[in-house]
Amino acid sequence: MTDSALFDILGLLGYQFFQYALLGGVIVALACAWVGLFLILRKEAMVGDGIAHTAFGGIALGLFLNINPLLTALLISTLAVLGISYMRRKGLAQSDSAIAVMLTLGFSTGLIIISIAGGFNVELFSYLFGSILTIDQGDLLIVSILGIFTILFLGVFYKELLSITFDEEDSRLMGIPVRPLSIAFNLLVAITIVLSIKVIGIILVVALLVLPGLSALQLNLSFKGTTLAAIGFGILSMISGISLSAIYNVATSGVIVFTSAGFFLFTAIYKRLG
Amino acid sequence: MEEDKTPVLEVRNVNVARSNALVIEDANFTIQWGDYVGIVGPNGGGKTTLLLAILGIIPRQRGDIRLFGEDIDSFSHWERVAYVPQGAIKFDPHFPITARELVALGRVNQGNIGRKLKREDWEAVDEALDFMGISDIANKRIGQLSGGQKQRVFVAKALVRKPEIIFLDEPVTGVDASTQEKFYKKLSNLNTEKDITILIVSHDLTAVFCRMSKVMCVNREVNISEITDDLEPNEVLRKAYGEHFHFVFHKHKCEVVFEND
Repeated sequence: MTDSALFDILGLLGYQFFQYALLGGVIVALACAWVGLFLILRKEAMVGDGIAHTAFGGIALGLFLNINPLLTALLISTLAVLGISYMRRKGLAQSDSAIAVMLTLGFSTGLIIISIAGGFNVELFSYLFGSILTIDQGDLLIVSILGIFTILFLGVFYKELLSITFDEEDSRLMGIPVRPLSIAFNLLVAITIVLSIKVIGIILVVALLVLPGLSALQLNLSFKGTTLAAIGFGILSMISGISLSAIYNVATSGVIVFTSAGFFLFTAIYKRLG
Repeated sequence: MEEDKTPVLEVRNVNVARSNALVIEDANFTIQWGDYVGIVGPNGGGKTTLLLAILGIIPRQRGDIRLFGEDIDSFSHWERVAYVPQGAIKFDPHFPITARELVALGRVNQGNIGRKLKREDWEAVDEALDFMGISDIANKRIGQLSGGQKQRVFVAKALVRKPEIIFLDEPVTGVDASTQEKFYKKLSNLNTEKDITILIVSHDLTAVFCRMSKVMCVNREVNISEITDDLEPNEVLRKAYGEHFHFVFHKHKCEVVFEND
């Protein structure tokens, strides 16, 4: 990094928009990495992608009704999660097909609303691809509340979630409420995705969920170590991504994905050599 | 003790069906405290189905199952019961978990939901690891362990609950004979030293007839016999495996087994 780049970051730290971006980004990165590790181990990464795309309908609805689109996205994502688990439980569709149904339904809802409203253009674009540098106090409040809720939930039910992820049948036998916890976890995925929308947008959010956990998995650590490493990679790629994009004035969400992927590449090479 | 009079497990007139086909028909048997029961029978004969029905994991068509004298449908003391499922060790080898962390999952139950494991939980974990002779690999990732080590980890996970009865479904497939032998010896110790009632699905008929106190033959019908010196293994086994089945068994084989202990 050149002297001027370092100077740029120090300079940027003085601006409120940059402070908000970093704070929001770190909360989002932490929640995403932690939730994402469980998603990977449950082999449900595409649930994350499906719910994110479904949230598009919710965003369009919010813009149309003129309420905070994050709240309507949360509503629609929650419905999508419940829809997916209902279809799975009743044997109406397998996991991946159920996701496809909700994904397209949610996205179509968005399309129809947009066509009725005659388009939202720029604003909608910011939800598709994120705009963390324009995050305001209201958004930061929503992100903080949802993020802290997610982190607290994972902290409290950490061992139960690990247990049902590792061995569902044995967990059931031990009296752990497997189904309520699974549904609660999927709701947590919906919450995490919604709080990431402002940061990285619905198209790329799955990268925040999957890449830090994948990088951590390369290191062959204990579960605790893997969790901490995933969170570390998530936060590092978020901070470096936001800083680089602010300095060079390029799309933040794109840079964050690249820094995350960079860590993944680095750990994958480390694994091959180690 | 009152518990000594009540059988650990009572199964009365139980039918179990899977995909509408009757798999277990009119099962009737009683397991007493301290029994060490080998469950044998041909593949597809219903051994796993029977275990799953006893544990209430799959429904039965009719009949009564009582664990510790309590109806299985209202039974709530699952911490007294441990189960090592078939293929327990065939999990994703890349799952990021150490042997010690995995055994600790055995301490997670409905009584401590949402709370951290206590010091006594971790002491129980280390004791179970020690009993199974795997303290040295406690901090290794489970994917790095050999088949025999994994099995001992899973049994340690079952033991860490301090169960009074333990069900094992073919825990020693795919490992070499000497590892199997060590494993059965550990189970014998559990049975005698810790007074744990054991039911184990096994294809190792020698181990069953040398080490265990009862043999249960399952092939739709369920027959249980006490293993005594007078018991003729083939008479029992033919009920499950068919008339032409012949198991070459000599009592002196057991002596060889015990010499190795």
